[in-house]
Amino acid sequence: MVPFDFTYHRPSSIEEAVRLFERLHKQGKTPLYYGGGTEIITLSRLNLAFADAVIDIKHIPECCVLRIEQNELTLGAALSLTSIEEANPFPLLTKTASEVADRTARNQITLGGNVCGQIFYRETVLPLLLADCHVVIAGKDGLKQRSIHEVFQQRMRLEHGEFLVQVKIDLSYVSLPHAHTKRRKQGKVGYPLVTVAAIKKDERLHVAFSGVCPFPFRSKTVEEQLNARHLPIETRISRALQYLPKPILNDTEGSVEYRLFVLMNALSDILIPLEEG
Amino acid sequence: MIGKSVIRKEAWDKVTGRAKYTHDYFEVGMLHAKLVTSPYAHARIREIHTEKAGSVPGVRAIVTGEGLPLTGEDLRDRPPIAFDKVRYHGEVVAVVVADTLVQAEKAANLIHVAYEPLPSVGSPREALQEGAPLIHENLANYQKGKYSYPEPGTNIAHRTKIRKGNMEKGWAESDVVIEASFAFAPSDHAALEIRCATAEIRQDGTIVIIASSQAPFMIKRLIGEYFGEDVGKVIVHTPLVGGAYGGKAPVQLELLAYLASKAVGGRKVSVWNTREQDMITSPVHIGMEATVKIGCTADGYIKAAEILFLFDGGAYSDKAIDVTRAAAVDCTGPYHIENVWCDSLCVYTNHPYASPFRSFGHCEQAFAIERTIDLLAEKLNIDKLELRMKNAIRPGHTTPTQVVLNRSNVGNLPACIARLRELIQWDEWQRIEINSRTVRAKGVSCGWKTSTIDTDASSGAILTFNPDGSVNLISGVVEIGTGTKTVLAQILSEKLKMDIDDIHVKMDIDTQTTPEHWKTVSSRGTFMAGRAVLSAADDAIRQLKAIAACVLRASAEDLEVGYGKVFLRDDPSIYVPIKDIVYGYKYPNGNAIGGQLIGRGHYILRHLTPLDKETGAGKPGPEWTVCAHAVEIEFDKRDYTYQIIKAASVIDIGKVLNRRAALGQVMGAMSMGLSFASRETFLFDRYERILNAQLRTYRPIRFGEHPEYMVEFIETPQIDAPYGARGVGEHGLIGMPAALANALSVAAEVPLNELPLFPELIWRTKEGKQYGSI
Repeated sequence: MVPFDFTYHRPSSIEEAVRLFERLHKQGKTPLYYGGGTEIITLSRLNLAFADAVIDIKHIPECCVLRIEQNELTLGAALSLTSIEEANPFPLLTKTASEVADRTARNQITLGGNVCGQIFYRETVLPLLLADCHVVIAGKDGLKQRSIHEVFQQRMRLEHGEFLVQVKIDLSYVSLPHAHTKRRKQGKVGYPLVTVAAIKKDERLHVAFSGVCPFPFRSKTVEEQLNARHLPIETRISRALQYLPKPILNDTEGSVEYRLFVLMNALSDILIPLEEG
Repeated sequence: MIGKSVIRKEAWDKVTGRAKYTHDYFEVGMLHAKLVTSPYAHARIREIHTEKAGSVPGVRAIVTGEGLPLTGEDLRDRPPIAFDKVRYHGEVVAVVVADTLVQAEKAANLIHVAYEPLPSVGSPREALQEGAPLIHENLANYQKGKYSYPEPGTNIAHRTKIRKGNMEKGWAESDVVIEASFAFAPSDHAALEIRCATAEIRQDGTIVIIASSQAPFMIKRLIGEYFGEDVGKVIVHTPLVGGAYGGKAPVQLELLAYLASKAVGGRKVSVWNTREQDMITSPVHIGMEATVKIGCTADGYIKAAEILFLFDGGAYSDKAIDVTRAAAVDCTGPYHIENVWCDSLCVYTNHPYASPFRSFGHCEQAFAIERTIDLLAEKLNIDKLELRMKNAIRPGHTTPTQVVLNRSNVGNLPACIARLRELIQWDEWQRIEINSRTVRAKGVSCGWKTSTIDTDASSGAILTFNPDGSVNLISGVVEIGTGTKTVLAQILSEKLKMDIDDIHVKMDIDTQTTPEHWKTVSSRGTFMAGRAVLSAADDAIRQLKAIAACVLRASAEDLEVGYGKVFLRDDPSIYVPIKDIVYGYKYPNGNAIGGQLIGRGHYILRHLTPLDKETGAGKPGPEWTVCAHAVEIEFDKRDYTYQIIKAASVIDIGKVLNRRAALGQVMGAMSMGLSFASRETFLFDRYERILNAQLRTYRPIRFGEHPEYMVEFIETPQIDAPYGARGVGEHGLIGMPAALANALSVAAEVPLNELPLFPELIWRTKEGKQYGSI
């Protein structure tokens, strides 16, 4: 069970949510915005998460939007992963989302929760990084829209009191050729050894990773190596592996060496058809 | 009725969510306990500060380990709450009792324990090394059972020796000798229902326990023995149990609940594990290291076997001693070997302590033996099933403990092997390359198992009747999900020739009113309780006939019971309905004879003996069920990943009593075996702390990941069993780990002698790399 007392708040507007956060903070509390709450349940029982006030953003209309308008796809942060899978507005995101946890958990887990979570895989951010999307963030100065690359470095860099409201994806990315693979230690459910997602835009590969390092990433240098098309793909992959950020994970899912072995095969499995396709 | 797939009696309650388990019995005013557990695997406890915790509102008591008696079924080595030092990660160091669980948890978080870490022991081989830290310095002084043989000054809690035949002769007759070593770490049972118990001590001293347990009668007995309570004042209730698999055979939380209740003046206290605690604080599936050496003639007849089992008993011996003994009893696998040397050790380590796991030491030892048999076949260049067939145990042979087998006490292994061979189309192919990356391969194994249980284990049954003539069946078997109580109803239905719907089964156990069934373990429910039910039915029939003889003015010998009546054998039109006599028969003038009819029956195991300390000779169990298994896999040679395509078991079940129930038991056991073999293990850091005690990082097989299961039965009756049926609750599991490892070893063309078979393990073994992280 959650081993601490907390107050529950259900704002119905962005402004109310932000005001609530400020007020609770001023009262000396540690408030937390949340969507599905699965991570609070999972980590608090291990004393790895704490909040004495939780702010449920699922009843804020902007957070529940799933809309295509003026060549832009808008996804609310409080959409559950399964609702995104079912609507399927962005096939690569559907693929990535559908391999997170299991169906029952995905009914709860939200896009925003997965992207902003403490558990470091945050796999649904991969398609967002590849699509160079924008994020709408609410804070005490109102709403702001930023490129995901500005805000997401290893994790979402939100200011105190801010929360993710929406992501906005340029529709031209949605139908690009893409590929996704998730390789696990064993079985069909569980955290990744490595997850790789890629799209091809203007003959260039965009590639993003989860499970390789203790954070998801898209790396310019890695992409440069992978796109050095004058070289055979095997060479490019082995060069790219040398430019991975550090540290490479060495944990209960797998050793560093094995991860790199799996990553090498995963990359050649998804990049070769994508490049040729 | 025998053989019919009767839907289990509790099915509707279970599928509608109405079935009640221990933790569903909430009561107003009940107090809640929270366990404080050790973050270290081996450490001296310097101080426990409870002041802050004690000041949390609602806290009623904080119980620590001081002054408590040592516990343990075969060797009293375990304080119910750690005292002086902790010996495994997750061990209980304090129990906080409060009005609400939230208060108890809050207080538990405020208990500060000062530890001084000690060097830890991470495997049996490490524990046996010269100079290894001693986990129990006082081993010499522990109270022990007559047949436990701890070796003070070492980390050996018990050693079972098997000495059969003449090893020198065996090796001399052997043309080919193979030796290999095997290893796997402890793992979890992962039952859906976590372990839990409540206790209450009433004003008159009656101790009432509700427990999710396979051994309610043992709880009663042990609370009496450990704490000097009158055993008649201990009453244990066990409702339905949501999966047990051996993990609920040990008695642990019940003792804590009792102690907690005692600390708060007898008020009712509920103790339950979180999932994380259920995984490591409560007893686990045993780990093992082993070395097996087998010698055989050039034409494939095994002449000698030298076997060393080093079981990872963990920090305390408790049930592990029994498990390691059971592995020794059947150490050779189901093969006829005249010369056998086996040492099976229960070794202390700083891992969570071990309990039985479905198959009780057998899937573990079979992994080592059946892998070695495959290696032997490869060396001899003999077909793997042929080698097993040649050496298959048969009537007239003797077991490792020198029991002479006959047509009743052992099943027909050659028939199982022959049927398996057809079923999996063994002769068509054993390894095929589908393409440059994909290969399919089959692996086989055999198994056998007897039940090493107390030589005086018994079971009782009571039948009472209702005014409509229907029967209430009361047996001490716990319904742990196996459907045994429904099978007992079928046995009774057959015997009384009565509709199954007229037999009402009492599901829950109340040790005060339910006749004892030793323990619901070891695939012994149907056999022992079945015999008790038949005996109770005979008793009821005798009484029914005695009254009916008066009513019908006929000799009891001329009467038959069935179809709700007692009737004349040669003229069924002359009868009296059962309902008219089960509460006494009333004549038209009001006179009555007879009285309330109660059938009683019991069964006690016959001719069992303890094992001789030096040779192991003795009769450990009543019969051996035999089985043959196969697994077919598809292996990716580049990625080292694989799919389990098919899994097959052919089991000599004696007689099928309930076909679907039997299939369910076997498939469920196979699934557990494959899950254990392919992915279940605790992962330890270098201080022997468990890294994956949550189901998000410890991931058993999921629905949807299952292979096609193929299950067939051979029926060689065990003459003294109800309708000839043999035990079958565990046997589907026995050969699965070995069959999977055999298939993958063939596919990957490298011997795989460790579990679980993660692709990384295959990669490391194949690439010959020694990477350390898992």
